[in-house]
Amino acid sequence: MIVLEDSLFHRLDGSIKGLRHAVQAAIELEHATIPPYLYALYSIKPGKNVEVAQIIRSVVREEMLHMTIACNLLNAIGGTPEIDSPGFLPKYPGPLPHSVQSGLVVTLAPVSIAQVKNVFAKIEEPEIPLDFPDIVLPPTTIGKFYRKISDTLKSGDFTGHPKQQVTAAWWPSDQLFPITDLVSARSAIEIIVEQGEGTTTSPTDQSLEFAHYYRFEEIIHKHRLIKNPHAGPSTPPNKRYIYRGVRIPLDRKGVQPLIVNPAVKGYPSGSAAAVANDAFNATYTALLHCLQSVFTVNPQQLATSIGIMESLKDQALAMSQIPLGTNLYAGPTFEYRKFN
Amino acid sequence: MSYLTPLRLHFAGKFQASPSTVNNNALHFNNATFQPSDQRREAGQTDGWWNPSGDALFRLAECKVTSAFRDGMPVSEDPVLTMRIADTDRKAPGKMADLDPEQQMVSEIWGLEVRICTDDGKNLLRGEYETTAFTELWARDIVDLSNPVGDSKFSAVYQTVLTNVEWFDTSSSPFLEELRKSTDDSELSIKFNVDGYDMTWGSPFFTYGRIVGTIGPQRKNEPKRFTLGRHLMPNLDGNGNPIGQIFFCPAVVDKRTARIIIDAGNALPTNGIGGPQLDIGNVWMAYRKGAQWQSVGEIDYLKPEWYSNTAGVVALPADRTLTRTELAEIADSPIALFAQSKGAPPPPQPAISEPENGQYVRADRFVFRLNPGEQAEVELWATQWGRPQPGAPVTLTADPSGLQAGTGWPNVAVPLDAISFPPTVTCDNAGRATFSIKASPPNNPRCYIDGQVYGVRPLPAGILSDYPVNPWDFVSLLVWDQFVPDDPITWYGSLQPIFQQYANLYPVMQRFLDLSSFDSICANLQILCLAFGLNMDNPNSMPVTRDLSASKRKAILKWLTTLDADGKPALGTPKPNGECPTAPSGDAGPATLSPQMIARGGKEAAMLRRKGAPNYGASTEAQ
Repeated sequence: MIVLEDSLFHRLDGSIKGLRHAVQAAIELEHATIPPYLYALYSIKPGKNVEVAQIIRSVVREEMLHMTIACNLLNAIGGTPEIDSPGFLPKYPGPLPHSVQSGLVVTLAPVSIAQVKNVFAKIEEPEIPLDFPDIVLPPTTIGKFYRKISDTLKSGDFTGHPKQQVTAAWWPSDQLFPITDLVSARSAIEIIVEQGEGTTTSPTDQSLEFAHYYRFEEIIHKHRLIKNPHAGPSTPPNKRYIYRGVRIPLDRKGVQPLIVNPAVKGYPSGSAAAVANDAFNATYTALLHCLQSVFTVNPQQLATSIGIMESLKDQALAMSQIPLGTNLYAGPTFEYRKFN
Repeated sequence: MSYLTPLRLHFAGKFQASPSTVNNNALHFNNATFQPSDQRREAGQTDGWWNPSGDALFRLAECKVTSAFRDGMPVSEDPVLTMRIADTDRKAPGKMADLDPEQQMVSEIWGLEVRICTDDGKNLLRGEYETTAFTELWARDIVDLSNPVGDSKFSAVYQTVLTNVEWFDTSSSPFLEELRKSTDDSELSIKFNVDGYDMTWGSPFFTYGRIVGTIGPQRKNEPKRFTLGRHLMPNLDGNGNPIGQIFFCPAVVDKRTARIIIDAGNALPTNGIGGPQLDIGNVWMAYRKGAQWQSVGEIDYLKPEWYSNTAGVVALPADRTLTRTELAEIADSPIALFAQSKGAPPPPQPAISEPENGQYVRADRFVFRLNPGEQAEVELWATQWGRPQPGAPVTLTADPSGLQAGTGWPNVAVPLDAISFPPTVTCDNAGRATFSIKASPPNNPRCYIDGQVYGVRPLPAGILSDYPVNPWDFVSLLVWDQFVPDDPITWYGSLQPIFQQYANLYPVMQRFLDLSSFDSICANLQILCLAFGLNMDNPNSMPVTRDLSASKRKAILKWLTTLDADGKPALGTPKPNGECPTAPSGDAGPATLSPQMIARGGKEAAMLRRKGAPNYGASTEAQ
């Protein structure tokens, strides 16, 4: 579970400035989860581990949705998302932005049960996972943070221009919609929280999809989560579903052994890995630049940003063929680089 | 104007070009005979050649401004000298694609964006590279000609314009301020040379090469893809190499600065792959005065860093200006370059010169993809001594000599009546003419490859058979057939063969989905609709999109967006494989390809598949 810095909560003091600061932090937080998930996806060989890839892809797609919703929210309350800057990119390995330093260390690593269990599931762990009803509640989780934002919002805060709201057919219209008032803002926030964590009584969100945490648990348990066929009305929430569905194998032979936590410094200058990594980072930075434009100037450019994401995938998969040593291959570092 | 002016900057660095090579073999287009081994890297003659998983990227890397000139004088202390030439910072990188397996000599760059920016990434200007193809490819590394390095020994030229140029804060750079004021229509002229290509798998710079280039102002009403100027033409041997060791180069007589500016960037041989210029002795420019050649000055091409600092562009004479008399003499007589090796007697003949009467004809845009019923509007200029030639007659000839049908590959340029164009065209008062090449369905002469490729060559009318001609100066056309899908359109009924061919030819697509699988396509409908719906010049347009006729693309998009109750496009029922008749083939090029050359494929093999230079003058007179 991600535990956020207290200071983030303290800034939510009812002022519009504090609110904007908090929503910008949410954008950074949502974005920071994407590179580790992409890195895992890039490690899956084409056509292999199809179910695992599908699960991670479904989560990363929703993280992108959450980042979009957070940007819509910031625009709605008259703020300006700040995406295109070196500081926007977190350092891996490291904590998620605005989380407490002693908490989870997020790594870039090829997909494995350990990575899903120790990093991905931890990122997405709900305040009250249904498997662990006795957990001691820390005060500052992501879900609580979003709810605090939701509670702090006032109807007078929505001074942003509706033209800057990003909507797109890439996500269902009941998940991505313009945020123009308190009602739409609170619905949008609820989508983020429920897709990430589920509800306190069910592992699903409102559209009956399993929350991210439970999707990752499926990989860990190597089985789909299904409704407990023996559950009745009196069955407690944490017994209504069981990991007994179709098997989800993770075949290690279908995973390219990418380097864990690559760093620019780790790739010798002029090496094939360094050359490919620089090119990848230039494209990743172009993506941030494009998204900056999508969220502050022209929402129509979203398709262009999706095009850049496809190119990133291509470049990362090409890079994953560059050997670094015995059974070890190169992977991208996700760092800021303004040109190739 | 164009880049060849007293106001220009030069840059140098690296480029990346990562084409897929499975489609370099026309036989690989035949689904019926395609083997999985055809996607293997360099394992034999029938494999996927040197870069089967190429993703078509074209990028600039590590490119820096190396010099700049205002009014013909080198600029010092201008911040432009510290700047970078970079590609996009806001969309997917550019792409490169061949026109056709039987015309691989016009690889075009699509969707490239070019920026001038500071070392910390602040933009000074940004423009869109208007799609164009390379030309004037030659084996420049003549030292390593026998070395089995494939395309690495080649060099070629790209010239076009940057369009929709956005200018940012250029106030710190007087050079850029002047460039901004001097150019028309938010365009800039850009030309670069590419060589030293690394095609060794596993090398750090695999698919990278050396690039040097020039950016200058662009004027309205001037060609974009070549320079109105003096065009020096070498005599070529049977392999297309210059007998005098110096290749095609343009020059401009700039009256205002009283100098001749010559671009020898793609003209001089190198010592090794991507190496410095080879020492071919003293090289000087001269013009003909009566029966004599009058020197204008030497090119100091052996100076260290000469190539990266100048991109091969030199203004002569270096130490003085031309007199009025000289300018008057040069105005109507050929310009040439001489080369004299150390210790050799003065050469009686130039290594390369303008033709006797200074006539030159060239089409601006020279690559077209046409659907049946469409027509290419080809714009050309006729010049003499670099000046537009009002009313000049130009002959137009169907000329397949630059196309590349290999042994056993389908014949090219038949049936000829699928294209029609006038036999001659007359230039207007500005020495400019436009003519149409109309396309009708070629009716599937190549069976498993859609449509047909053609070449059309414009030449000055009435030239003699020994008149020097640039074999690269012709118009390449790919004319597609009309595709009629079944109704309703189904996977099995119409589209499976198209997607199968795509999956065969572009293994890189496996990084995204399995194009030969209906289920995989259904799982990726959204992204496929996006990709197939993009314009060809969008960098995210998939490689195959540029191979697809409008009718095929329309059918695919309709199929992808007409969903059955199960949310999937129509599957249809399998039908037995139709027998694909063998496409007529046979008359391959005259050159013999060694197994090694065939195995490497690439431009070297394509170059050797050309049918050889036709007898231009004779064929022209026959019109």
